[in-house]
Amino acid sequence: MGAWSAISGWLAGFGAASPWALWLLPLALLPLAASGRRRAAVAALSAAPPDPVSRWIARALTLAGILALAGLILALAGPYRAGERITRIGVGAQISMLIDRSGSMNETFAGRQPSGAEESKAAASKRLLAGFVGARSHDLFAVTAFSTAPMLVMPMTDRHDAVRAAIAATDRPGLDYTNVARGLGMALSQFGDESGVSRVLLFISDGAAVIDPRMQDALRAAFARIHPNLYWLFLRTKGAPSIYDRPPGEDTPQAAPERHLDLFFKSLGLPYRAFEAEGPQQVADAIARIEALERDPIPYTEVRPRRDLTGACLALAALGLAVLALAALAEADLSARRRTVERASPVSAEQIRRAA
Amino acid sequence: MSERPPLMRNLRGPRFLALALALALAVAALVVHPLAITRTGVAVLAVVDITGSMNTRDYTVDGRPESRLDAAKAALRRLVADLPCGSRMALGLFTERRPFLLFEPVEVCADFAPLDGALAALDWRMAWEGDSRIAAGLDRALAMAAGLGVDLLFITDGQETPPLPAGRTPGFDAKPGVRGLIVGAGGYSLAPIPKFDDRGRERGFYAETDVQQENRFGPPPADAEAREGYNPRNAPFGAAAANGTEHLSSVREGYLKELAAATGLAYAHLDGPGGLDAPLRAAATPRPLPGQVDLRPILAAAALLLLLGSLLAAPLAALGRGRFTVPRTRSA
Repeated sequence: MGAWSAISGWLAGFGAASPWALWLLPLALLPLAASGRRRAAVAALSAAPPDPVSRWIARALTLAGILALAGLILALAGPYRAGERITRIGVGAQISMLIDRSGSMNETFAGRQPSGAEESKAAASKRLLAGFVGARSHDLFAVTAFSTAPMLVMPMTDRHDAVRAAIAATDRPGLDYTNVARGLGMALSQFGDESGVSRVLLFISDGAAVIDPRMQDALRAAFARIHPNLYWLFLRTKGAPSIYDRPPGEDTPQAAPERHLDLFFKSLGLPYRAFEAEGPQQVADAIARIEALERDPIPYTEVRPRRDLTGACLALAALGLAVLALAALAEADLSARRRTVERASPVSAEQIRRAA
Repeated sequence: MSERPPLMRNLRGPRFLALALALALAVAALVVHPLAITRTGVAVLAVVDITGSMNTRDYTVDGRPESRLDAAKAALRRLVADLPCGSRMALGLFTERRPFLLFEPVEVCADFAPLDGALAALDWRMAWEGDSRIAAGLDRALAMAAGLGVDLLFITDGQETPPLPAGRTPGFDAKPGVRGLIVGAGGYSLAPIPKFDDRGRERGFYAETDVQQENRFGPPPADAEAREGYNPRNAPFGAAAANGTEHLSSVREGYLKELAAATGLAYAHLDGPGGLDAPLRAAATPRPLPGQVDLRPILAAAALLLLLGSLLAAPLAALGRGRFTVPRTRSA
């Protein structure tokens, strides 16, 4: 049983591009029944003494026939050794990006419609994030967008060009409002269940909103379970309140949502940093600092390409065919020779047999 | 000793020639490079209607009802698997009056896993507003596809919310010259639309009084004067509340075909998870993709036929002559 499972396990590593061709494999036994070689009438077989050399040649030719047939049929099926998945350790993290797509993201840091060489907040974050993705090859990314409702844009993936395609879409006209709480919930749901992986929640917005107290408890529970490193990149518009400003009147979440979102994040007990950026250069600095902070090991899967075995099968078939072709070339024609034999009698039967 | 050297005779013998040719083919298969050819793929922006009426469950999968949105998602996931490698797909959502681009075109094979995951995650809860102005959304989706340089695949059930003013058809800003396909989702008979509360839980179905049955913006329709209680200033649409079937939904195929004709797109009905592949390829711009054909199986098959022929020629010939008896002789 052990040997059988070992063999089947070994076979499981192989595959064929067109497996139907393998049904032809029984044909490879044909040389046992038909040799295709020239037939010659001999008066009495028992007259010829047994000849081990002839027998070995016959066996070798049968084997060559089987080899050629089996090789060609296997080559037809397109066999391959399946690619292996190898888990290695690199430097990287699972990074879930939560990007604000509210309408104000399409304004500049000065709060105007961009004109000329001016860059909107969305365009600046798009340009800088595109550079961030792919700077380290082992990072996994997920992209979530939110405005009134959260939108799952790209699930957690190591395909960096797909992530860049998602980020490239983020400077298009945005939607209405900033509904932070549900966006955070969906961004947290993007992390997988693997343990021992560094998780990063990168939250990019130009504003904040009051988090519904009912949602707060659910969010706290989700943050505690997933325990990500949390970075808030706050794209502050000129004249807008800072995260750290106390409102002049009553200090309520409604009066200063940015400050209270920051306080909420601080109360989660997570590794948390807020970056307040008032221009593209500060966004770039913040992203560079996040990149430098995240230097934890991450297991990643490397897929070895599969190995094509068609060439090897063809080489074996060519070997068998070469032997068969040489044999066909060296074959004696007894019917032609018999006339000679009849004339010059002193040719032993053994010679005839061997020639055949 | 022989009259003619056997080597020369064998060299011309059919068996040697067949085997030598088979050998040559096998060796050629060992060294031949794949033949470069051009295949046709597509580059498409898929825009999926995620408005409320798409939650209507009028598809059936394994005997269970399935919503139009789930049927559309299954069809798109199958489409991505069916498209030849090198084809590209971008994904957008439609609700309110505009499409929202989730991501720019990605390659359907190398990026299959994230693309498939993003399609699987499509949800009506991503909608940012409840309106469903399909003509306006289609117009902007065409412009978006033109901007991306791809064709358009627009999946919707064609139910405008609020309903269009009677007797007026929507106009389109520009014909950007985008090709593509409108896919009508939904059954042909009216079905109730599920209703959800603000926390996303299902709460029954829409009733007649829950939705706007008639568009009462703008000038009243021509027949308004004949309505009961008509007053040009105080009741230009008549005094009675509008009633109708806007709270029920079926695929508005006639309207979608009208839209398709106005924008130069093709129309197809969504029948199930399969079958988007063929109408899309017929409607979309063919994009040449580099492909290659492996010649080795062809060469190997030819060599195999020659080898089998050399083995079986003699027995078959004997069979043909009808004297395949027990041989008195045997070959060595």
